[in-house]
Amino acid sequence: MNTKLAITRPVNWNKIEDAIDLDVWNRLTSNFWLPEKVPLSNDIQSWETLKPHEQLLTMRVFTGLTLLDTIQGTVGAAALLPDAITPHEEAVITNIAFMESVHAKSYSSVFSTLCSTDEIEQAFRWSEENPYLQKKADIVLGYYRGDDPLKRKVASTLLESFLFYSGFYLPMYWSSRAKLTNTADLIRLIIRDEAIHGYYIGYKFQQTYNQESQARKDEIKQYAYDLLLELYENEIKYTADLYDELGLTPDVKKFLHYNANKALMNLGFDALFPKDDCEVSAAILSALSPNADENHDFFSGSGSSYVMGKHESTTDDDWDF
Amino acid sequence: MERTPELAPNEVISRFDNGELENTLSYHELNAMINLWNSEGKMQLDKDKMAVHKYFLDHVNLNTVFFHSLRERLDYLVEHDYYEPDVLAKYSFDFLEKINEFAYSKKFRFETFLGAFKFYTSYTLKTFDGTRYLERFEDRVVMVAIALADGDEDFALHLVEEMISGRFQPATPTFLNCGKKQRGELVSCFLLRIEDNMESISRSINSSLQLSKRGGGVALSLSNIRESGAPIKKIEGQSSGIIPVMKLLEDSFSYANQLGARQGAGAVYLNAHHPDILKFLDTKRENADEKIRIKSLSIGVVVPDITLELARENEDMYLFSPYDVENVYGIPFGDISVTEKYQEMVDDPRIKKTKIKARVLFERIAELQFESGYPYIMYEDTVNNANPIKGRINMSNLCSEILQVNTPTTYNEDLSYNVIGKDISCNLGSLNIAKAMDGGNLADTVETSIRALTAVSEMSDIQSVRSIADGNAKTHAIGLGQMNLHGYLAREHIHYGSEVALDFTNMYFYTVVYHCIRASNLLATEKKESFDGFEDSKYASGEFFTKYTDQEWAPKTEKVAELFAKAGIEIPTQEDWKKLSELVQKNGLYNQNLQAVPPTGSISYINNSTSSIHPVASKIEIRKEGKLGRVYYPAPYLSDETSEYYEDAYEIGPDKIIDTYAEATQHVDQGLSLTLFFKDTATTRDVNRAQIYAWRKGIKTIYYIRIRQLALAGTEVDECVSCML
Repeated sequence: MNTKLAITRPVNWNKIEDAIDLDVWNRLTSNFWLPEKVPLSNDIQSWETLKPHEQLLTMRVFTGLTLLDTIQGTVGAAALLPDAITPHEEAVITNIAFMESVHAKSYSSVFSTLCSTDEIEQAFRWSEENPYLQKKADIVLGYYRGDDPLKRKVASTLLESFLFYSGFYLPMYWSSRAKLTNTADLIRLIIRDEAIHGYYIGYKFQQTYNQESQARKDEIKQYAYDLLLELYENEIKYTADLYDELGLTPDVKKFLHYNANKALMNLGFDALFPKDDCEVSAAILSALSPNADENHDFFSGSGSSYVMGKHESTTDDDWDF
Repeated sequence: MERTPELAPNEVISRFDNGELENTLSYHELNAMINLWNSEGKMQLDKDKMAVHKYFLDHVNLNTVFFHSLRERLDYLVEHDYYEPDVLAKYSFDFLEKINEFAYSKKFRFETFLGAFKFYTSYTLKTFDGTRYLERFEDRVVMVAIALADGDEDFALHLVEEMISGRFQPATPTFLNCGKKQRGELVSCFLLRIEDNMESISRSINSSLQLSKRGGGVALSLSNIRESGAPIKKIEGQSSGIIPVMKLLEDSFSYANQLGARQGAGAVYLNAHHPDILKFLDTKRENADEKIRIKSLSIGVVVPDITLELARENEDMYLFSPYDVENVYGIPFGDISVTEKYQEMVDDPRIKKTKIKARVLFERIAELQFESGYPYIMYEDTVNNANPIKGRINMSNLCSEILQVNTPTTYNEDLSYNVIGKDISCNLGSLNIAKAMDGGNLADTVETSIRALTAVSEMSDIQSVRSIADGNAKTHAIGLGQMNLHGYLAREHIHYGSEVALDFTNMYFYTVVYHCIRASNLLATEKKESFDGFEDSKYASGEFFTKYTDQEWAPKTEKVAELFAKAGIEIPTQEDWKKLSELVQKNGLYNQNLQAVPPTGSISYINNSTSSIHPVASKIEIRKEGKLGRVYYPAPYLSDETSEYYEDAYEIGPDKIIDTYAEATQHVDQGLSLTLFFKDTATTRDVNRAQIYAWRKGIKTIYYIRIRQLALAGTEVDECVSCML
């Protein structure tokens, strides 16, 4: 099977079987970043302007995100490895797994910069006890442990493209109101990565899916919609639990719809939610753009737009003056 | 309303009429909509105007303190320690009423949401609890004008006219602080030398704290400091070099900010031939160790011609120990021309040296520019060859546009001053090129601006850093900048970087430099005083003027001749220059330096300009700043007709930007902040080529390198204008 093939073949990057592997690898490596690059401490003043319940909400949202990234880094991406079709895909997935761990650590950087140890521990305790969050984790973990490679990819894509976004909403919301803008930079770097992860895993899903029999296709498709709805129902409760106090729940829901459709699109399926239910506030939608075209002031933040350089030596002609 | 699911989300929004839309959406949402297409795939520029309107209705008007009369307002603000009474006391109340009415009669309106938002968030006077506004734009302009005019009614009215029309815009510290009782300094920018001793290093940290507290950025030269492993008291291997000094400085800047209004910011410059140069660059590496990683301190490299020549030959370049160089020559390393002394130093066995491949240095610089945007580059010999003032320029500042000479300070054993040297400060302000052309009287606009900037210099006396106070008092150095070049060109249907655009840039800056010198000569005549060292300058010898008196400068294209004729602006002739040259040699110049073109961030938004003389980064710019969050800024005069003239900086590419700056550079005594823009398909080699091209064209400094990466196909947000433009 694939598993064996993958181990017995050394990965030869000079022979690419699927050009998308190389594209995505290049993109992921040039996007490499570490949380230390973002001057989070510039947000301390802004953090102190948040009301206590707003601070609490922010910490909870971040512990929720930490949990998801922990799952994705340690279980999720690793679970996809045996299913890899090409050796290059394995390489890409290991990169994904590593970046997920970087993301999980990033949230800790936010915590340690903005909050006291006591507050951090309370927030983590909350995440261990919150029923909706735990259910979300259980559902995804259950499918990762399942034995169907296509189903695992569905679960992974939904996680990358859908489940994170109830949490991403908040930093985008704060940044559109000029709060915690450096934290938002960091989250935007994470979103930039997650957008590619979701796209890539969805793409790999479609590669296999399209070769399956009609009956199998129907089964998987039904499964994808069922799983999405199961997650969605839980996600709605989780959202209400978090955002009711700020009155943001309706807008977050629209955002969830928008991203659920996006996740289905990554899998090659039709949208589930009518467009009218996806009218996300323009400020959030614009803030979400993964393009690195933002023009920032270097003195107050590092921005979310730098990439690793491609090295190429100059030749004598270049120096002909 | 019946809704059909086939519609795109933005169509649903655009189905509302505008009134309904204004009622349902917040100003932030309206502003964000200009970044999204409407149902016909067009830009929704009107939404930004609605955002401004809504911002005033929902926010500004509700949060502005109301006064029944001007008298009531001024009494209240003075009594409660908001306004400085001395500023107002120089004028009669009748005049204050007159100037106030004059300002309001001009019917100023903010053109963009970002302009209004930025003004009210960062500039206007607020109650001490920060919740309510005490000034409108007109009030701020009047306060700046009367503070700078210092009792001169006629000058105050002139200044209001120039500022409210948008022709002249003082830099942030001046515009923010003038007339306020609780305020920082009016000056933007400071440059300090550091010498190779502990007294100077610790004094520079003290000075950095003091200057950051008072606003603006501080740049420091590290070139003189001995390298890591250099001897201390002749014992080898003792010095820890420049990195720990950078760490100390970085922490100092994060600690000090100007009443929370501006983040402290600093830059450090190092000569390319300093032995720690590679370590210096590696502080900006993405994966640098926390101990040596520099996050918020900006870095710049001073590159002499010899370095480029060695790279051309693909040879090694020698790095020289500043400790030994100072011992051998008796002057600090930074004050030596490496190009001139290179061979001599290589051959001198008393000077310890190491070597690296010259091309490797340039490649390393380019790699880091990809990763971090840094370092800045200053072409040392280009800068010094163009410098009309006696002395040596060995560093630049936080925005790489200030280029002035300095001299060292020495200390006594008890840390008091022995000799107070000259350090550099520079106060800035910029003209809006489009508005200055529309005004039709460039001579008057430039003169008023030069007088205003000179007033800032005269009002500044920073006693906590004596070398800065002394330098300012002796030089009255100022920097008049320019902005909205791309805006003007687009409005006039000229492509940025085209032959006509280059011709215009040349003639505009040629005319401006004439009036700058004319104004400074008038000041010297009136005050019967020239800057310290005028006699030794190329202005006094007349050498500076030969390039204007020995050849004719005139428009090469009909279009540019027309633009100037249409505006009623006369282009100075050779005869004019001859007369001016004589006047300068007779009566002198008041200001040691006159022009510097800054990058203009915030003030260009308030002023509805494109930044500096750069092309726009995008037709709809996504602006992120600490205090603002994400805000969207449409290019000025953007419409269906001008759209094609708004190619963005990444499409235009580095060569045309360098060509444009080269035209301007020949008429600017200091520097111009030049950012280069690359698509992410560029490699380090493309960056190196641009650096070489810039040097060949006589560019003095390079500021940031910006890289634009577009979203991978399939991952972009639907309907986003900036994804597609």
